[in-house]
Amino acid sequence: MKTQHIISWILQLVIIAVLIPSAYMKLTGAPDSVSIFTQLGMEPYGRYIIGFLEASACLLLVTPNSAAHGSLLTICIMLGAALAHLTKIGFNSSSCFSCLVILIISAIVTYLRRMQIKSIARMLN
Amino acid sequence: MAASVDLHKISRFANIAIPLLAVIFFFGGHFIHFYIHFLTVVFIILTVINIFYLHIQKKHTILRNFGILGQARYMLESIGPEMRQYLFASDTEERPFNRVERSEIYRKSKGIDSASSFGSQMDFDNSEVKIRHSMYPVDKQDIKPFSLTFGEERGVKETYTITKPYLISAMSYGALGKNAIQALARGARLAGIPMNTGEGGIPKYHMEEGGELVFQIGTAKFGVRNDDSSLNQEKLIKLCTDPSIKMIEIKLSQGAKPGKGGLLPKEKITEEISKLRGVPQGEDVISPAHHIECTSKQTTVAFIKHVQDTVDIPVGIKLCMGKTSEFRDMVKEMKNQQVYPDFIAIDGAEGGTGAAPKAFMDGYGMPLYASLFAANQILTEQGVRDKLKLLASGKLINSSKQFVALALGADAIYNARGFMLSLGCIQAMLCGNNTCPVGITTHDPALQKGLIVEQKAQRIANYVKGLEYDFYEMLAASGIRDAKDLNIEQLYIPNDTALADQITTLLSTTK
Repeated sequence: MKTQHIISWILQLVIIAVLIPSAYMKLTGAPDSVSIFTQLGMEPYGRYIIGFLEASACLLLVTPNSAAHGSLLTICIMLGAALAHLTKIGFNSSSCFSCLVILIISAIVTYLRRMQIKSIARMLN
Repeated sequence: MAASVDLHKISRFANIAIPLLAVIFFFGGHFIHFYIHFLTVVFIILTVINIFYLHIQKKHTILRNFGILGQARYMLESIGPEMRQYLFASDTEERPFNRVERSEIYRKSKGIDSASSFGSQMDFDNSEVKIRHSMYPVDKQDIKPFSLTFGEERGVKETYTITKPYLISAMSYGALGKNAIQALARGARLAGIPMNTGEGGIPKYHMEEGGELVFQIGTAKFGVRNDDSSLNQEKLIKLCTDPSIKMIEIKLSQGAKPGKGGLLPKEKITEEISKLRGVPQGEDVISPAHHIECTSKQTTVAFIKHVQDTVDIPVGIKLCMGKTSEFRDMVKEMKNQQVYPDFIAIDGAEGGTGAAPKAFMDGYGMPLYASLFAANQILTEQGVRDKLKLLASGKLINSSKQFVALALGADAIYNARGFMLSLGCIQAMLCGNNTCPVGITTHDPALQKGLIVEQKAQRIANYVKGLEYDFYEMLAASGIRDAKDLNIEQLYIPNDTALADQITTLLSTTK
């Protein structure tokens, strides 16, 4: 139980390390973010919404009793990003790779913290 | 049942619709606008969760058969008790205390007039014991002020007199948190009534408030024990040098779990508990089902004598009635040995703040009115009723129930849950979980924060004041000048009550 706890905390910090710069770039309007969201046709409000969601996920991930909620939110964001890469942006950028890695890590965190959300806990025995 | 909604059909539809919607939204997001992918993501997640519910987990039948819609059941069920209490339960249908009874206590505690209008909400014409008034009520100033002296029959050195017919029943530090104990003890002092310490060992927090206490000796004899659960005389003598200890009560059994002992798990034995209760840390402590000294009527009576010889204050017993024949035999043995406890407290067959197994809470012991009548009747028939005082406890939270108990032979009233209600109890029924939402039966500092001792102590005092006011009003209405003259003639007892049944059986077997 204790090792699971430590592993989960390390993974949460990894997710946060990726999400914070990403949220910062979106909210401050870095040229890279602006060009991506222009491609998606969501400039500027979509960029603000996603940036805000990423920042919220970070906050949830550092709150001990809400880590599962944070990782679930991260999964949703990353799924959206994956859809964007799949349909509009293409697979060639490095952000595509990091998006998939974070998706998997968030899934692991959600699994490790599944007792925090009963409907998630009931997915497995 | 034919007209009912076919939940299985609806859930099958949902289980197909969810992945289908995910696909539809995907195309919407792709061809119409990327914003629609917000919905795509949600429905992909729902689809994955649903696959797990339907095909992977094996523990929950409802989820395996109905999928994600089955979740609604869990959600609704989890908020059920609150919904029922807040919205749907009628004012008279809750147990153990309905809203009408509870709000009477709340009003008394806050000093608000508790008069009600437009008739009784009780099932007035049915199966409830009622009090007969007199055509000739007496003036309140003609009523003799209540006074009861414990230990006068035996001539103990330090008799104890109460001037109100109320005692706060056994609640220990452990079952209740620190704030609740302090508020109760302070309130008892303000109201001028004694408080029973419960079997929680040295009553440190009770004593801090400087009120008058009845020290309870449980079967494990916490606070005054040897390691084999037998009585340690020196410890008892030392404890009784404290001027706040006015009486000793030997608990033979209690209503919540009569005939059953308990176990204090080692996790609960903190350094403080270990010190107060006189038990070692790091191992479970067993509360035996009976006092180790008491294995028969002879040894039980001898043990009462032993405690009476040890201290100079009144010593009584508390028991929940099981077999009336056993009680009669014990009373005969008292006559035989010429040893009488200074009081006998009769406990009803349920209740208690701690956790008791459901079978014992619900299934064991005689209800209070019937057992109180039986005790009084047996003591009278054996000619020893004037050798001791009789106390009653068990759900006696309001004036009329207390008056019935007094008429059935009790000299004074023990009451615990009434005082908990006046502390702010909302009957959440979580006493054994350490999660009491109003900070009474919990040691969690975050939950105890809301219980302000000064405030609640005053509520206790107000409650007692309200009860006492009713008590004299009711005596006046019954045409009785001295509470000692109360008897069963004051009661109207319908045939289909447990009490009426007991009266018939007891009177027919003794004649």
